[in-house]
Amino acid sequence: MNIQIILAGVGGQGILFAARIFSQLGLKIGLGIMGSETHGMSQRGGSVVAHLKLGAYQSPMIRAGTADILYSFDEKETYKNLKFLRRGGLCFVNLVSADRFDGKILHHLENKDITFRAYDAAGVALKMGVIRSANIALIGYSAGTGLLPFHYKDLKNVLESVSRTNDLESNLKAFETGFREGKKTL
Amino acid sequence: MGKGEDIRVLLGNVAIARGIIEAGCHVMTSYPGTPSSEILPAAVAFKKELGLDTYIEWSVNEKVAFDNAMAASWAGKRSAVAMKQVGLNVAADSLMSSAYTGVIGGMVIVSCDDPGPHSSQTEQDSRFFAMFAKVPVYDPSSPQEAKEMVKEAFELSETYQIPVLLRPTIRISHGKQSVKLTPPEVIARPADFKKDPGRWAATPRYRFILHKKLNETLSQIQERFEEESVWNYEVGSKREGPLGIITCSVSFAVLLDLLEDLDIKEAVNILKIGTPYPLPQRRITDFISRHKKVLILEETDSVIESQIIDKSKVWGRLTGHVSIQGELTPEVIHEILSDVLRKLKISDLEMVKDEYLEKLVKELELPVRRPTLCAGCPERPAFFAIKRALPKAIYPSDIGCYTLGLNLQAVDTVIDMGAGITLASGFYQAYHQDKNDIPIVATMGDSTFYHSGTSSLLNAVYNNARFILVLLDNEITAMTGMQPTPGIGVTAEGTEGQKIPLEALIRGCGVKWIKTIDPYDIEGMIQLLKEARQYTKSEEGGIAVIVARHPCIIHYQEALGECRIEVHITDECNGCRYCVDYFECPALRMNEEEDRAEIDRMLCVDCGVCVKVCPRGAIVPVEL
Repeated sequence: MNIQIILAGVGGQGILFAARIFSQLGLKIGLGIMGSETHGMSQRGGSVVAHLKLGAYQSPMIRAGTADILYSFDEKETYKNLKFLRRGGLCFVNLVSADRFDGKILHHLENKDITFRAYDAAGVALKMGVIRSANIALIGYSAGTGLLPFHYKDLKNVLESVSRTNDLESNLKAFETGFREGKKTL
Repeated sequence: MGKGEDIRVLLGNVAIARGIIEAGCHVMTSYPGTPSSEILPAAVAFKKELGLDTYIEWSVNEKVAFDNAMAASWAGKRSAVAMKQVGLNVAADSLMSSAYTGVIGGMVIVSCDDPGPHSSQTEQDSRFFAMFAKVPVYDPSSPQEAKEMVKEAFELSETYQIPVLLRPTIRISHGKQSVKLTPPEVIARPADFKKDPGRWAATPRYRFILHKKLNETLSQIQERFEEESVWNYEVGSKREGPLGIITCSVSFAVLLDLLEDLDIKEAVNILKIGTPYPLPQRRITDFISRHKKVLILEETDSVIESQIIDKSKVWGRLTGHVSIQGELTPEVIHEILSDVLRKLKISDLEMVKDEYLEKLVKELELPVRRPTLCAGCPERPAFFAIKRALPKAIYPSDIGCYTLGLNLQAVDTVIDMGAGITLASGFYQAYHQDKNDIPIVATMGDSTFYHSGTSSLLNAVYNNARFILVLLDNEITAMTGMQPTPGIGVTAEGTEGQKIPLEALIRGCGVKWIKTIDPYDIEGMIQLLKEARQYTKSEEGGIAVIVARHPCIIHYQEALGECRIEVHITDECNGCRYCVDYFECPALRMNEEEDRAEIDRMLCVDCGVCVKVCPRGAIVPVEL
C-alpha cells in the first residue's frame, strides 16, 4: 500500500501531532515512512504543512497532483494546498459547512472526482472545552466516513500510544465524537 | 521487522543525533538555529535513554561551540558541533584554521542548509564553505543515510585527522523516516592532549607546511571517495544513454520518486554523489563519457557542477537549465526534467499542473499568512510602546521572534546576529558626524545578546555612541524551540548552571543607565523610553538600556498565573482598526460585517494588555 497525506493549517493547531499519528500508524501496519514538516518561524502563527508518505517512497516531499488525502485544519490553508490532491483524492476540512467553501472550486473538485467533506471540528472541540483537540476530531470524523484505507481500531490504538497522559481522555473523546459524526455520512 | 530490531520514525535531525551517539561521540556542542535546533536536544534524550556520560552543552554561539568541541577532539575524544548554515559564518574563523591544524579524535561539524529559504537570511551552500575551508563533506539524501554518514564521518575524521562536515538540507533535517537504530559504540578515550606547538600554535611558517599536508590528505580522501561506496553509486539499468543525471542530497530522493511515478526509470541513468568534496572526479568523468548529455541536480548552489573539469556535455545551474536560486521541489524537478527530456527528444512528459485550480485560488486573493508574535507575547507591547514613544526613530533589530516586530513597524533592519546593536552605533556615528542627533532604538532578544551582543555593546560604549537599546528578555530562546539561556542558568541537560543576569553583563560593558521593566506595563514603558531618550541627549549621557523582562507566554504557560484579565469589546468600538493594525495581536480581528473589532477566544490568552491600546477605551476587562 502506498498513501500520501498532506496535513495543513496554521501554527498551533497540532498539525505535527496529527502527522505523528499517521506516521506511527504506518509503522504499526508495516509501511515505510517518509515525510517532511514545517518548523521554525512559521510555527509562530504562519502556514504549517506536513507531508507524509506511507509505503515505498524515497523523498520526503509530495508532488502536486499526487496526494491521496488532504487534511486541512484551516479553511484558507485548504485553498493553498488543494493543488497537491490527485484526481479522485479525499479532502477533509475543519469548516462549519461546505456551503462556506468557494462554490467554483467545489465544482472543480467534483469534476476531478475529489471527495470533499467539511466538518466543524473546532466547534465540536470548543464544546468539549478542549479546543486543542480539533485536529483529533477531524481525524476521527474522517475515519467514521469509511473512506480511509485504515482500520478504526489501528487509528485508535495509535492515538492512545502517542497521546500524552494528560491529553489522552480528551483526545479519545474528540476522536470518538468525530467518528460518530463521520459515520452519519455513510 | 527482524528480531530485536529497533525501528523508529525519526526526524532527520533526531537521526543525526542518533548517529552522533551511536558513533560513541564524547562531547557535543551546539547553538540553536532552524533547521538544526532539534539535534542537540535529541542527543540529550538518547544519552539519558542509554545511560551514557556524553558531555553535551548549549554554547552561547557557534564559534564558541566549535572551539569547545575542537578542544575535546585535540584531547583525543570524539566530538560533534551542530549549527545552521549561517551559524557556520560565525564559526568560520575556527573552521578555516582547524582544517590546517587538523584534529585527533574524530570531529564532525553538522551545518544544516536552508534552500528556499524557509527560516534563514541566506540560501548559502555549506558545501562551498567546506570547499573553501578544505574539509571533506558528506551530503545525505535521507534521515537514515544521514545517521550512517555521521558514523563514517567520525571514522574518516579520525583516520585522516581532519574535521569533517555533514551537510543536511532542511528537507533532510525536518524530513521524517522510519530509521533503524543500532546500539552505540563504546570508545574509551581519557583526555590526553599532547603538546605540539608546531601544530596547535603554528606560526605562519609552519602554516605553510600544514597547508601542504592538508592538500595531501585531501588527495588521499579523494582517492577513497573514488571507490565504490554506499554513498556514491549509479542507478539505472544501462551503462550508456542519451541522458545521465548527477544528483545529491534530497534532490536524488525526489528524482527517484518522480521517475517511479512517471514510469520513466528506463529513460535516464543516475549517478548519486554523497561526497561532493573532495569530488570523485574519475567517477564523474567516466559517467559523463557514457552519456550524450548530463544534467546536474543539486541544492543550493553549483558545488558539484563547478568542480567538473570538462563541462562541455553538462547542463545545470551554470548553463541556465536549473534555476540559480530557490529550492528544488518535486514540481521544480519535474519541470526541469520535462524540459530536458523534450530538448533531447527522449520523451514528452505530460505536465499535470492544474492551472484552472490555480487561477480559481488566485482569484480568492487570499492574504499571505505572515508569521506573527503570539497572542500574549510580551514583545508586542514593548514594540507598541517603542513606536508610540519615539515614532520617528530608526529601529535596528536582530534575529529571533522579535524580528516579527516588523509587523508593528518597529523593526527597520534585520541582518545578522548582534547587528541590532552594531547598526545602532553605526547609524549614530554616521548622523553624529553631521551634527545630527536622531533617536535610535535598537532591539535585541536575550539569547541573541548572549550570542553576540556584548562585543557590539562594549564597542558602542567605548566609542561614545548614543542610542537606546531595548533588550527583550523573555528568559528563553523562543523562536528556535525554547532552548535555555545563561540568563536562567539551566544547561542543555536541564541541570543547574551558573546564572548570568543581563543587567550584570550590560553594566560590565560600561553602560551607566540601565532600567528594568515589565513591558506589559505599556504606559510605564513609554515613560521609560522618553526618559531614556533624554539621557541619550543630556550632556553627561550615553547609551541607555531598558531590559523589558516578561517570560515567554508559550514556554512559561503559568507566567500569567493569577494575573489573567479576560477582556471584551464594548459598543464604544467604532471599527477604527487601530488595535488590529497597530497592536496586531492574532486574537484581535475585524468583524467586517459589523465593522468592529472582535476577540478570537481560541487564541486569546487573557493577558489584558490590549485594554491600554484602544484609543476609545472600548476594550475593557470583563466584570466578574
